[in-house]
Amino acid sequence: MTEFSQEFREIALGEVHDVAAERHAAGWRYVQILAVNTEAGVDLVYSYMLDGLLENDVVRALPADAVVPSITDLFLEAFVCENEIHDLYDVAIQDIAIDFGGMFYQLSQKAPMTVVSPEQLAAREKARKVVAAKAAKEAAAKQAPEAVPDTAAPAAGPTEEEIQAKIAGLPPEKAAKVRAAMEAKAKKAAVVPAADEAPAAPKPAGLSEEEIQAKIAGLDPEKAAKVRAALEAKAAKAAKTEGKGE
Amino acid sequence: MGKATVIPFGPQHPVLPEPLHLDLVVQDETVVDVLPQIGFVHRGLEKLVETRDYNQFIYIAERICGICATGHSVGYAETVESLMGVEIPKRAEYLRVIWHELSRVHSHLLWLGLAADAFGFESMFMHCWRLRERVLDLFEKTTGGRVILSVVKVGGVVRDIDATQMAEIVSVLDGIKDDYTKIMNTLLTDTSVKNRTVGVGYLSTEDAQALSMVGPFARASNLPYDVRSFGKGAYGDLADFQPITATEGDCYARVKVRCLEVLQSIEIIKELAAKMPAGDIEVAVKGAPADGAQASNVLEQPRGECYYYARGNGTKNLERMRIRTPTSQNLAGMTVALKGCDLADVNMIILTIDPCISCTER
Repeated sequence: MTEFSQEFREIALGEVHDVAAERHAAGWRYVQILAVNTEAGVDLVYSYMLDGLLENDVVRALPADAVVPSITDLFLEAFVCENEIHDLYDVAIQDIAIDFGGMFYQLSQKAPMTVVSPEQLAAREKARKVVAAKAAKEAAAKQAPEAVPDTAAPAAGPTEEEIQAKIAGLPPEKAAKVRAAMEAKAKKAAVVPAADEAPAAPKPAGLSEEEIQAKIAGLDPEKAAKVRAALEAKAAKAAKTEGKGE
Repeated sequence: MGKATVIPFGPQHPVLPEPLHLDLVVQDETVVDVLPQIGFVHRGLEKLVETRDYNQFIYIAERICGICATGHSVGYAETVESLMGVEIPKRAEYLRVIWHELSRVHSHLLWLGLAADAFGFESMFMHCWRLRERVLDLFEKTTGGRVILSVVKVGGVVRDIDATQMAEIVSVLDGIKDDYTKIMNTLLTDTSVKNRTVGVGYLSTEDAQALSMVGPFARASNLPYDVRSFGKGAYGDLADFQPITATEGDCYARVKVRCLEVLQSIEIIKELAAKMPAGDIEVAVKGAPADGAQASNVLEQPRGECYYYARGNGTKNLERMRIRTPTSQNLAGMTVALKGCDLADVNMIILTIDPCISCTER
């Protein structure tokens, strides 16, 4: 049996067609082409197979204005992947043997796979923080024997200047929302100590009996009857519960 | 020769259960050129890796297609396991292959029924689907599901098959084999079937190789390429595995290869059932794929080689998941097989290629 193995290697954009030609001449099978949207640009992965070896040639971070040469003159079957990458990633591919000119997929949005969703952004941010925290922890562990531990010092949060600088970097609408939320938080914080000092305020009473009756009088007769019945049932239940408690 | 006329075929057509469009350039009654088009229902499932973690995405992967569901879940799980350096227990490998080969049997029986129906052999359609029901019953007994099984997970499988169930599977497959052999012999020797398929939709070995064809379509043109021969997982423990091929390269050869592959799958399941090792069925998989780590994988689906690719970003969500299905690989070969055929044979050729647009429009 032929063993399966896989390899990845990086190639330059200028080598794409030459590598394909070499592989075609050497009897490699074309397997596929795929794209990955990264922060630095779109990566392309060309896969070929020979005798169980699956080789993936990776072209890193295509510039926005890059033009990729088609390999359909060597491997006609690549027209599906090349049209797909053009439609889903807006990558310009030159001389595709069967070129649909952007109409291969019926899409409601141009280059949908390049749209970075809020979930993806959050995941990337989280990954960065995890990596930074891990690095900081490792650095601290290295320095720990030399440094004197200061257990009394609480962890300091961001300063007022840092917060204001962060807000300045946000879009105006979001910045206004953040400021409003901060003001509301500050107001709440100012009220809480007073509440701590004073005895607990009585729970605000509900509507008085007169107010309830006035409201019911304003309802249509059928609904008013239903509300009255519900109130009576509630009162009876409360009375029963009290009786049991005694 | 008469004037060339373009005849649109699909995306809605009685012979196509899924939307595929062909522009057939016809002179008199002969097809001289073909332009295929897909993309009418592209679902963007690959983008869902952004919102589903690598454990959750397996449920998306197996919903790519109802016929190839088990294969997609196995292919996806193997790729993520390769990405994270996870080795699964031997028993889990065996169980995956048994369910996957049962899926191949049900897929080929479904296809054979549809093909028989297309050329007017309706009683054959009924018989094929009757046998397929027995395979679906086995799925239901062992997994609880009939189409979407949800038994494969990253790190192994979620259910075991005990010795009693295994004996029942073997017994049911023996019964299916007897019935199926009669049906297959009837089909392959029937004059009407031969009239419609022999010499129709020819594809040479050279073309199949040049166009990197996959699956029964390629093997019917005498290209012995089958991912199972790499011996991955439990396939490596088979005493002997030889891809089934035919030399004719026509519609009849494609029918014959698929018919024989059903018997081959039954034998694979029986052999693995006899060799089933004891032990765990899963290992715990913790953590997340490393940032920038990437892995690729191939799996023999009922329609041929399917390619999987995954890239990690340091979180539980993958940066990219890619699935290249066998049908998209065979589209170029389909245009070559259609060139020169009679217009009346187009539907028969497409059916014997067995395109799965649901997979392709992942």
